[in-house]
Order: sequence, then C-alpha cells, then structure tokens
Amino acid sequence: MQTILNFLIKHNHWFLFLLLEGISFVLIVSFNSYQSAVMFTSANGVAGNIYSAIENIDSYFGLKGENEALVEQNRELLDELEATRQQLRQYTDSASIAQNLHTSNDIRFSYYTARVVNNSLNKVNNYITIDKGKNDSIRPEMGVFNDKGIVGIVYQTSGNFSVVIPLLNSKSKISCRIKSSNSFCSLQWDGGDTRYSFLVDLPRYAVFEKGDTVVTSGYSSIFPADIPVGLIESLEDSEDGLFYRAKVSLFVDFSTIDHLYIVGNSNTEEQKLLEESIEEK
Amino acid sequence: MTGITFFRIRNFALLVLIQALIFSHIHLFGYATASVYLIFILKLPRHTKVNELLLWCFLSGLIVDIFSNTPGLNAAAATAMGFARNFILSAFTHKGLAEDFIPGAKSIKWGGYIVYSSLCIALFSFVLFLLELFTINYPGTLLISTLSSTLLTMLFVVVAECFSRNR
Repeated sequence: MQTILNFLIKHNHWFLFLLLEGISFVLIVSFNSYQSAVMFTSANGVAGNIYSAIENIDSYFGLKGENEALVEQNRELLDELEATRQQLRQYTDSASIAQNLHTSNDIRFSYYTARVVNNSLNKVNNYITIDKGKNDSIRPEMGVFNDKGIVGIVYQTSGNFSVVIPLLNSKSKISCRIKSSNSFCSLQWDGGDTRYSFLVDLPRYAVFEKGDTVVTSGYSSIFPADIPVGLIESLEDSEDGLFYRAKVSLFVDFSTIDHLYIVGNSNTEEQKLLEESIEEK
Repeated sequence: MTGITFFRIRNFALLVLIQALIFSHIHLFGYATASVYLIFILKLPRHTKVNELLLWCFLSGLIVDIFSNTPGLNAAAATAMGFARNFILSAFTHKGLAEDFIPGAKSIKWGGYIVYSSLCIALFSFVLFLLELFTINYPGTLLISTLSSTLLTMLFVVVAECFSRNR
C-alpha cells in the first residue's frame, strides 16, 4: 500500500499531465465544430458497430419468440387467404349458376398452430403428439401440415394435447392429386424409409411423369386443395396389375418437424351441432 | 524572489498577448504559424517542477486558444511540450553548469539551445497540427505544417535570444 502511495506521489506530474491533456481534449471536442464533428461521427460509427454486434448475438435469444410470432402470422395469412378464396368463389359462383349447383359444398377452412411434443419414426404405425387439444378447438379429423407440405390427420384429442396420424402410419390414407394431370389417387405408407410414401390406386390411364408434384385433392374436406405432398420418384405396377404404384419422395422431413399448422373445416362443427340437436329431440 | 516572479509574470503576459494578438493571425503560406509564447516555457529554469511547468503551459496555451477561438488545441500541444521539456533539456545539461540554470545560448551554448528549442517546438507543432487536422489521413500536410512552423518559430526564438539580457 505504502509502495503504491509512494509511487503515485512520486509520479504525480503524470496525473497532472493526463488531467490537463484530458481537459484540453474535452475543450477541443466540445468547442471546435470540426473536431467535434469528426469525433462524434467516428464515435457513432464505433457505437453503431458495437450495437450491431450485440444485436447479432441478441437476436439468437429472440429466435424462439420470433419463430412463434412468424408461425402465428402465417396462420393469420392462411385464414385471410381462405377468406379471400371464399369471396372469390362466391363471385365466380354467382357468375355461373351451373357451377354453383356443383360446388354447393361451401367449405370454409380455419387454421390453428401447434408444436410437436412427441414424435416417432421407427415404427410401422407412427404417431405425433402436439401441444394443442380440445381447449384450442382442435378436433379429430382435422388436417395437419407445415410450411413444406402435409403431415397427417388429427386422430384423437384431449384437453390440451392431440395425437396425429402422420403420413408415416399404415392407417393413414390421404386423397391426392397429380398436379400436372389432375389424376386422383391415394397416398399410403407401408413402413420402411421415412422419406418415401406410395401412391396407390393410380389408374393406368393416368398421365404423369417422374418428378411430377403430388398435392392434396381437396375432395376429402379434411385438407384444402393444393397443399404439397411430394414428388413422384419412381413407378411400378400394383400387385394385381390393375393400377400403378408410384413411389413419392415426401416434402416433409418428419425427423425435424416442429411447428405445425392445423386446418379445420368449420362447417364440420356446424354440421355436427345440427346433427346433435336432431338427436336430442 | 519577488522580482523574479514579477519579471516572469510580465514576460508571460507580454509573450502571450503578442502571440494572441499578432502571431496567431499569421499563417505563412497557409502552413506556418509562429508560436512565440513558447519562448516563455523554454526559458523557465532547469529545475522548475514538472507540475508547475505543466500549469504554465496549459494556462498560456489556453489563453492563446481563447483569443484565437480554438479552445484546447494550443493548451493540449503546449502541455505535451511542457511534459517533455525537462527530459529534452536533461540531454544538454553538463557538470559545469549552475544547479538551477536558465536554458539559453550562454548556459548550454548556441548549438545546444537551438537543438533543445527545435525539439520542443517540433513536438509542440506536431501535436498542435495533429489535433487541428484531427486525422492521420493527411501525413503530408501534417509534416509540412510541423516543419515550417518549427522553422518559423525557431527564427523568432533565435532573434529573441540575441536580444535577451540574461542569456
């Protein structure tokens, strides 16, 4: 301690020097417009760089919230898209009465978001558990998809959770359409590779090629039309030889799914209520 | 002692005023500016305390700054020079000198005095123009300004030394 004090006393002129230079420097940058401009511009540059560096690090911590917000926004957009489609349909419907007769099933879809809490890949009948249930208006028979393509169908719901039958389940059968030729068929999985599924009941007169896109047909009223499913990978005859069987590489990577969208036909509920009210009487 | 203090303050006031009112306004060729008030610092006795030296430097620089509307520039440069002055001067000190001599042509010979003054003033000019430009992107301008100002100031230092009574 004594040594430090002695040192400080012995070299006090250093401190006076630094103090006076400090005062001078403050005077220079406060009262000289050019020097202050240079000083504060470069200081702002440094501060800006530091801020952007911190922001870069900071943004990682916000990624979770950001993702959820994005998913929520996507859901709203899907809702809005559906409403617009609905409106468009009404206009086209009123334009042609004949068409109106055919499209009397006025389907109105609504969208929800959910996250995967449990997922299996290695069984013949795989299931996915999600974190939304009855309390979030999730009902069985609702369609599940994500930003890449379709995932599966809601099978059972509890208060806050639901079990989804994904494409990777031998019980799953999804009505599909080959986008280029409008041929209808269904998608079934028979175990094995989780990247591929099979189109069965593909009529022999159907026109398609390898690499064609498979989308949902929109006939089942579980899924809206045109949600992507996968690409046709290869082709073979079915066992009885009456149909084609096409191998489809799925767009969805089931090992990494996390955020999901759930789509429900809101008319189903109306229909159900109606049916229940009749039963009560 | 009182007499010395009086002379010192008189010299200080005189040099700083001459500097502030005349020399600060002369920028020869846009580069060279003479800083004659530094003669006061150069002529302070050998064993002036560094703290005292620093305060004289800061004060004189600040007054010149106030007159020439450049707060802090001369003060910073003069303080830097004052800090280095005793180191530089110690190189020209030899045994035959009085304990507390006044630097000058008489005490440390013309050669010694000129080199000592040049080094001090060059340091001062360098710091001054560095702070004035406030960037190291123009080393050419910095060098020319420093050298020309040092030469011009040295001219006045030599002239003043010739007419000085106690050299």
